[in-house]
Amino acid sequence: MIAYLLNLATLATVFGILAASLNLLIGYAGIFSIAHAVFFGIGAYTGAQLAILFIPDVLLACLAGGVLAGALSLCLALPALRVRGEYFVAASLGLQMMAVTLFSEAHSLTGGHGGLVGIPMPTLFGIDISEPATFLVFCLLVLGGVLLAIRMLMRGSFGRALMAIRDSESAAEAFGKDVPRLKTLAVGLGCTLAGVAGALFAFYMAFVNVESFTLEQSILVMAMVIIGGTATLAGPLVGVLLLLLLPAALSFLPFIPPTQIGAVQQLIYGGAMTLLMIFRPAGLAGQSTGRR
Amino acid sequence: MLFLQLLFNGIQTGAIYALTAAGFALIFGATRIFHVAHGASFALAGYAFLMCSQAGLPWPVGCLAALAVAVAFGLGMDAFIYRPIQRHEGSFFTVFVAAFGMTIVVQSLIEIGFGRGFAVVPSALTMAKEVMPGLYLANIFWVAVGVAVVLFAIVGLFLERTRAGIGLRALSENPELLRAYGLSSRKLSALAFGLGSALTVPGAVLTAVTSGLQPAISAQVMLISLASAVVGGIGSLRGAALAGLLLGVVENLVISVLDTQWSSAAGFVVLFIFILFKPSGLFGQAVTR
Amino acid sequence: MTDLPLSVRGLNKKFGGLTAVQDVDLDLQAGICTALVGPNGAGKTTIFNLITGNIPPDAGEVLVNGKPVRGMVPHRIARMGVARSFQDLRLFGRMSVRDNVLAAIEHSAWLWQPGGGAARRAREAAVDAALDRTGLTALADARAADLAYAERKFLSMARILATGGRIWLLDEPASGLDPHSRARFVSLVRSAVADGVTICLIEHNLDIVTELATRIAFLDRGAKLAEGEPQAILRDPELIGIYFGERRT
Repeated sequence: MIAYLLNLATLATVFGILAASLNLLIGYAGIFSIAHAVFFGIGAYTGAQLAILFIPDVLLACLAGGVLAGALSLCLALPALRVRGEYFVAASLGLQMMAVTLFSEAHSLTGGHGGLVGIPMPTLFGIDISEPATFLVFCLLVLGGVLLAIRMLMRGSFGRALMAIRDSESAAEAFGKDVPRLKTLAVGLGCTLAGVAGALFAFYMAFVNVESFTLEQSILVMAMVIIGGTATLAGPLVGVLLLLLLPAALSFLPFIPPTQIGAVQQLIYGGAMTLLMIFRPAGLAGQSTGRR
Repeated sequence: MLFLQLLFNGIQTGAIYALTAAGFALIFGATRIFHVAHGASFALAGYAFLMCSQAGLPWPVGCLAALAVAVAFGLGMDAFIYRPIQRHEGSFFTVFVAAFGMTIVVQSLIEIGFGRGFAVVPSALTMAKEVMPGLYLANIFWVAVGVAVVLFAIVGLFLERTRAGIGLRALSENPELLRAYGLSSRKLSALAFGLGSALTVPGAVLTAVTSGLQPAISAQVMLISLASAVVGGIGSLRGAALAGLLLGVVENLVISVLDTQWSSAAGFVVLFIFILFKPSGLFGQAVTR
Repeated sequence: MTDLPLSVRGLNKKFGGLTAVQDVDLDLQAGICTALVGPNGAGKTTIFNLITGNIPPDAGEVLVNGKPVRGMVPHRIARMGVARSFQDLRLFGRMSVRDNVLAAIEHSAWLWQPGGGAARRAREAAVDAALDRTGLTALADARAADLAYAERKFLSMARILATGGRIWLLDEPASGLDPHSRARFVSLVRSAVADGVTICLIEHNLDIVTELATRIAFLDRGAKLAEGEPQAILRDPELIGIYFGERRT
């Protein structure tokens, strides 16, 4: 039981980092990406390869995963600068679909469908931190750092600039905001953090394959952010807990056959997204729209 | 000969994509709603047809059932999801997420009802014959192309000649004008959803008898419709249809050079290139900032 | 010749086949309020959008302080001291009143602003002053979207005030204001003019135009028909006829 809880807590922490990083894009910058699992994946593959080929240092893996994901985020920033709204959603979908094919075809980098197996136990400065509780503590520290950084940035001028662009891009421009640069920066930051989450995920699973980085995963993370509440610090975490506990909770219900749990889970979060948008667009943890 | 075979396969796929994408473009052009649950209409129509034929009903009944289900779903989305949202805020984001949520709901319901696997309705029309040395075509090819051509002619005439059709085209551009002509924008938007959703039916039925249905098809169709609408120029019916055809052909021709795994990605490479270099699409007005 | 704060030469813009702006020359004299007057669809807002770089002109040139700004992106033009308001306000709706104004004066596109504490205090002082002059101090923490109509209009003025920009383009800033707020608005603009700000005002209410404007440029169907002193323009029966909807033949 303890092992199960530790396991769940670590997974929730990793997804907490991922959801918080997507919230930076969706919630604060208004950049509606459905390709977030791609950057999660890039981080995971990078971290895994680094650990297998060179050294299983978790900090180095996070750094490498983050840097590579951040650099490749230009693939996403480019369309974000050219077009907006509907078009950008389409572009990010296109990126997601292309990336899944690349992930499953580039055998030498990603191991294809079989994935990368035998990721060594994580160490930190040569010290073994593979003990579940120790690894959880490390992940929590990373999450804490990420949340602190996001909080500081979003309360400062960078956050104001992004939110200004989100609320009215043309007005932001008219008041001297360098919109393309700010958007690129936001995309880069969000994707870097997704890469960090990916590197942690690789160590947690000790095995990565393309199944974890598909469109479904992107949608799941999106649902976490939206259901929890965009543009708040706590929102994505609430969403992560709800959606990760859902399958566990469903498995206690005797009338749902185990094979259907996945589908029932999807049914619930799909329905929740629709209902929330109709009745409470700001999400569960968001401020309700107090219109006059 | 492989090239020719793939080209014909591509045209068959493309005809289905074109019809579906045209429905999406029609809805977007008239209502400015990015109806991402369009793929769910397609899936529901397909499975309705599947249920009817499994129950031993003749195929026209199945088609009618599919039509009824698709139209009802489209109208329901308009009335119960989009309209309430647009009443209070109606940002693009909110509408998109709500529709996306419904797509997930439909997909999981189908999964619960029919399982995850492929389901095909057997049909004599899919028996392939060798029409030229090395080139195999089934009668279904001519059905697909024929249905697409006839339906495009009908929809085109409807939009050009009838009052309601002209109203549909003006709806997004100048709602006030419509009132002057005594047309109701509510009814027109319902018409757009009904007609647009109906256009998914031929594709759904044809897919059910050829490559088969699976729960995830709603997401695939949504992606194709989205891609076609963007490549064709958002809101342009002609553009979406042509782009749908193009994507179908590209997907199949890619197989002649690369592995089959690349075929679905190829369409999105096309989409990505268009967004980067010609975001207005084939027939759209300029949309860059 | 000293450089004019803003001048426009031979500006042309078509949308599709429709002429929006045709051969417009316009000089804004320093430290006065110039009003753009004309019926709806005369191209007034389009001229603003051409000046601020939101849309590229088909032909013609815009000079800010004597420097051509053709091809410059909007945020660069804004940083030359050109501040504008929008007809539909375009406030940053989900942000607080204070953050709306603060965001309008933070220009660095980096994770933080340069200049450290001193610069930050200077910005905060500018925000406080702008909120004070627009009467929004008590509402500083309210969400922009939750403000009443007149307050939203004053918030859009506060954003401009705080920038310290010397050229203001105001697009129907007083439309829909009650008499009391209108008087407050007029005195706000007057004190800005007294401080030497150059203002270009689009306004339909001719009372406000006569109260504020030193010069009027009269536009119709994208072309400038006349320019001069308010009395001369507003007494011209032909122009007034156009303004109140009698079409030229």
